[in-house]
Amino acid sequence: MIDSFPFDKWSDDISAFWTFWSEDRTGTYIMTVLGIIVMLAAFVYWTWLENRKLQAQAALLRAAGGMPAPGGVPPGPGPSQPPLAGPSTDPGD
Amino acid sequence: MTASLVGSMSWLLAQATEIEDKLSLDSQILAEQFYFFTVVVMWLIHVGFMSYEAGAARRKNIMSTAIKNILTIAVVTPTFYYFGWYIYGCFEHGGPAQGHAGPMPEFPGFCGATAPWADAMGPNLQDHISAVFFLAFLLFSWTTASILSGALIERVRLSAYLILGSLLGSGVWIMDAAWGWSAGGWLTTRFGFHDSIASAVVHGVAGAFTLGVLLNLGPRIGKYDLAGKARTFRAHNTHLTLMGLMLIFTGFYGFYAACLVIQSTITPGWLNIYLSPTTLGAIAFVITFGFAGGFTGGWIASRGDPFWTLSGGLAGVISVSAGADVYHPSLAYLLSITGGMFAVYVGNWIERTLRIDDAVGAVAVHGFCGFYGVFLVGIFAGGYPTGVNNVPVSFGGQLIGILTFIPLGFLPGYAGSWILKKLNLLRVPPEVELEGLDMAEFQQDFFPEFERVPETVVLPSGEEVESAPILLEGLAQVRNGHRAGVAVSEERRAP
Repeated sequence: MIDSFPFDKWSDDISAFWTFWSEDRTGTYIMTVLGIIVMLAAFVYWTWLENRKLQAQAALLRAAGGMPAPGGVPPGPGPSQPPLAGPSTDPGD
Repeated sequence: MTASLVGSMSWLLAQATEIEDKLSLDSQILAEQFYFFTVVVMWLIHVGFMSYEAGAARRKNIMSTAIKNILTIAVVTPTFYYFGWYIYGCFEHGGPAQGHAGPMPEFPGFCGATAPWADAMGPNLQDHISAVFFLAFLLFSWTTASILSGALIERVRLSAYLILGSLLGSGVWIMDAAWGWSAGGWLTTRFGFHDSIASAVVHGVAGAFTLGVLLNLGPRIGKYDLAGKARTFRAHNTHLTLMGLMLIFTGFYGFYAACLVIQSTITPGWLNIYLSPTTLGAIAFVITFGFAGGFTGGWIASRGDPFWTLSGGLAGVISVSAGADVYHPSLAYLLSITGGMFAVYVGNWIERTLRIDDAVGAVAVHGFCGFYGVFLVGIFAGGYPTGVNNVPVSFGGQLIGILTFIPLGFLPGYAGSWILKKLNLLRVPPEVELEGLDMAEFQQDFFPEFERVPETVVLPSGEEVESAPILLEGLAQVRNGHRAGVAVSEERRAP
């Protein structure tokens, strides 16, 4: 089975589909559309993620009572140090 | 004998053809390298914008400011590739065209070469020019979006800036470039509009767009006192800001050079963006004298303020860019002095009279001086032939360009930011603004080894005081439903 698999043709077909400027333009069109979709998704994700971060921080500051210290409190754990340091930003973590 | 002569002639003709082919290839490779290295130099503009804005921010907002400039590249690159370049290629006559022929028969169908799936928009052994030409324009687009960036710092959401920056960098400016910064653009071919190094096309339009956004964004909390007088937030590192400006200036030489078309086998070897002859030296003269005059004007008008002295240099260059291919160096020097001075006066007027908080003076430096530069060409270069049809420059033609570009820049900026504002996605929450954006966005202070000293603010009287009470009062105003940073008394007076 493995000996009979047409690796060369398979490789040529894959290459012709995915690389730029081959006779078959289908791959170029598909990648263009995929690129646009990913680009738009990145905008949506950026907006959603930042909104979560900002709302979580604002909620923490309000919950801490009073006003936040302009310029931030001294570094270290405290009411203005959210429990979501690092890439995870789920306020429920 | 005859056969020998014919043979020799054939050999000579073959040699000539071969030499011609090699020269043509050599010329194309030279052009390819030229644009490639202008792109490398233009990267410095973005190093500069990042340093400039991060230095101008307060300590609590350093990284959130810098990351905007980095992510500008992340969003404007794909949006310009998928949409922006096509706009430039296909909207010369106002609306979209399909595979039209340009004004020069040797450049047919530029529109068809700008779609993201076009042969020219990827590896192509037959085309040495399209890719690097696209890249040069992409760097112009990053620059245009970055002009917006600095004005909004310390209160805009990163995601809001990225959306608005993409709209400006990949939509708005490239539309005006198609109209007035290409050989076939309707402003060029009908009115002889002349803006050779993009005074209004890049800077003016970006400034108008920025003004529209600032009106919706509002000032930073605490920017204005109860009487409506402007306070000044201290930049956390003015040295970094000045170094950033110097890097922008260095990158501008690449920007200027990339605005020319190189044709090494045709005299004089260089054309401006409208395909009129010029030289690289001509524009190098003007940019250098533009900096000299701009620094002088900024220094005089601001009475030696370091920020405005350097910003004056930028304003000076922008004021003479539109005529950089035709101005005498002395004229550039004189005009750029006025540009540097105007930037200071207009910047102060915007801040103090209009009460618009433009953190880096972008509307004055880029917006006002950009349109001022185009206006000056109408006066000092009137009659100069522009483009392949040699349409003479006229004051009226320049004015039509200005009147076209101001709304083209302003309205999308205002509308886009208005929509984001209504969705509550334009500005960070006021509590976060006071504490600093870096804590919310990155959960850290970016100078961990340095002791945190009390943040200060300069009052209209010139006295420097601790900012906390002022900012807390501003926060209380916002929580009571007043606009951020705007004096309550002023808000009551507003219609």
